[in-house]
Amino acid sequence: MNVVMTGFFHNIRTWLSNRWYWIPLFVLLVWTILPLVWAVSASFKEATEVYQTPVSLLPESFNFDNYLRVFEYPNFWRYLFNSVFLAITTTVLSVFISILAGYAFARYAFKFRHILLVIILVPRIIPRASIIVPLFTGIAALGMLDSYFALILTYAATAIPLATWILAGFFKVIPKALEEAAAIDGAKPWQIIWHVVIPISLPAIITVSIFSLRESWNEFPFVLAFTSSQEMRTLPYQLFMLKDSMGMQDWPMVLAFTIVTILPLLILYIIFEKRVVNNILSGAVK
Amino acid sequence: MAAGSETKYSLQNEKNKKEQKKSKFRKKMIPYILVFPAVLFVIGVLGYAIIAGLLMSLFDIRLSFGDAPFVGLENYIYLFTDEIFLNSLFISLIFVFGSVVLGLALSLSFALSLYKCKRTGNFYKALALVPYLISGIATAIMFRFLFSGDVGLINLILKTVGLDAVNFLADPWWALLVCVLANVWFVCPFATLVLLSGIQSVDPELFDSAKIDGAHRIHILRKIILPLIAPMMGISLIWLSFASFNMFDVILPLTNGGPGRSTEVMALYMYNVAFGELQYSLGSAVMVIILFFNVVTSVIYLKIFNVNYAD
Repeated sequence: MNVVMTGFFHNIRTWLSNRWYWIPLFVLLVWTILPLVWAVSASFKEATEVYQTPVSLLPESFNFDNYLRVFEYPNFWRYLFNSVFLAITTTVLSVFISILAGYAFARYAFKFRHILLVIILVPRIIPRASIIVPLFTGIAALGMLDSYFALILTYAATAIPLATWILAGFFKVIPKALEEAAAIDGAKPWQIIWHVVIPISLPAIITVSIFSLRESWNEFPFVLAFTSSQEMRTLPYQLFMLKDSMGMQDWPMVLAFTIVTILPLLILYIIFEKRVVNNILSGAVK
Repeated sequence: MAAGSETKYSLQNEKNKKEQKKSKFRKKMIPYILVFPAVLFVIGVLGYAIIAGLLMSLFDIRLSFGDAPFVGLENYIYLFTDEIFLNSLFISLIFVFGSVVLGLALSLSFALSLYKCKRTGNFYKALALVPYLISGIATAIMFRFLFSGDVGLINLILKTVGLDAVNFLADPWWALLVCVLANVWFVCPFATLVLLSGIQSVDPELFDSAKIDGAHRIHILRKIILPLIAPMMGISLIWLSFASFNMFDVILPLTNGGPGRSTEVMALYMYNVAFGELQYSLGSAVMVIILFFNVVTSVIYLKIFNVNYAD
């Protein structure tokens, strides 16, 4: 018996010393997916089913009623349109501007280069929630409250620093030979950027775009502070309002709404996952 | 005739020179033109916000835009004698400390085990980043559901094992803990990837030679890995504490600062003062204080971990 026990502990010890990393990985798995799985499961349940004990992970029957109710929610499509529109316009704008700036920082030596780089990079560490007050009064003074303009302007401005930084780092390591060949053939700088640099750096541009899409898709403090009319709300804003108006009683519907806001980015991420993860690992966090 | 052609030639030469000068000037201008839009956006929006915020905090701007007397540091003096603000400062410090400690512990152990696990590592790596894609609001709602008094999974588990249910979000300390957990869930993934990229950049031969020398696992971690990834530790600590100091998205829908004011961090206080009481100057002063904390903590981390941000 004693021998068996010591053997057992010995086995555990050798397993621990060789395979210890499975423990944090298991924690990672449970920790990451528990809130999600629990929310997804409840989003398929009937309103009264979430109150039942004993609790079951699987709903009694998968019904999509909650999702249908989300789609039929007043103004839902308007909120979805706002979210998609803002995400796409700000991403296109900020990525375009960042490609130009990143290219300049990567390839040109010019006066004030360092100062300008610092000016662009330091705000990267300024968190967005903290600056809503002065931005609100500024936008109010321009008479631009409650407009797409205010949101696009502020979303793009917060996305540019990080995007410029990542792209500049990427442009630096691509070989110059192609650009030089194009320059000898008489290509103008913007032609070089368009025909040579952008095609080569597509992976980095995709990564940066996903960062920017994520930022504006999930943005909350700005849209909360700068808009007032219902028509301007985005999906996260409406999700926040939903929580208040429903008093959290209708959990399945609120959670279905939550899942609907999560899903588009998740799908995009699954498509580009390898690229995004590896790009972050290799350069984005410098 | 000859003279004529000469002048023509020299004229053309002059023209060429001018053209050359022009094109040289143009060439010099290219980088400035390329950088201009980015600088304009960043200075116009973010630079404006900081400078305007600093200035506004020195005046007494309320609802009206017209009459705004200069008050110097009065807003700051008011804040540091205001119990509600001091409470939010205290809550913020606990919240940040909890988030940073738990966040670093989790992200470091995740990063080390992701590095170790070669076989299914990619799956877990991809999984680790998932919360990063989810909005603060959605995170808050999922955690609220997880920890809610009547339908929360955690309470159902507690009941199943025979313990009493806890009304997490109604108790000041439990509510703060739930906020920390939700916040860590939300901000940890990025820190994990930063640390993982640091470990991956360590030369694997170092590990092998240390193993041959018979170095113990913990020893390798303490003497080789941690010192080598110190800059990455610094960066992920900055990330964790910045995100936590300014956390707003998660806490507002999760507890709205409650119960009472037990989870009202500084960012929430700022929002309430500015948009609830319309005291924009006071809100700006809070912004300056939050930014001040950010700068101080990052300087400390950079000093400790010897991060070279320049290149």
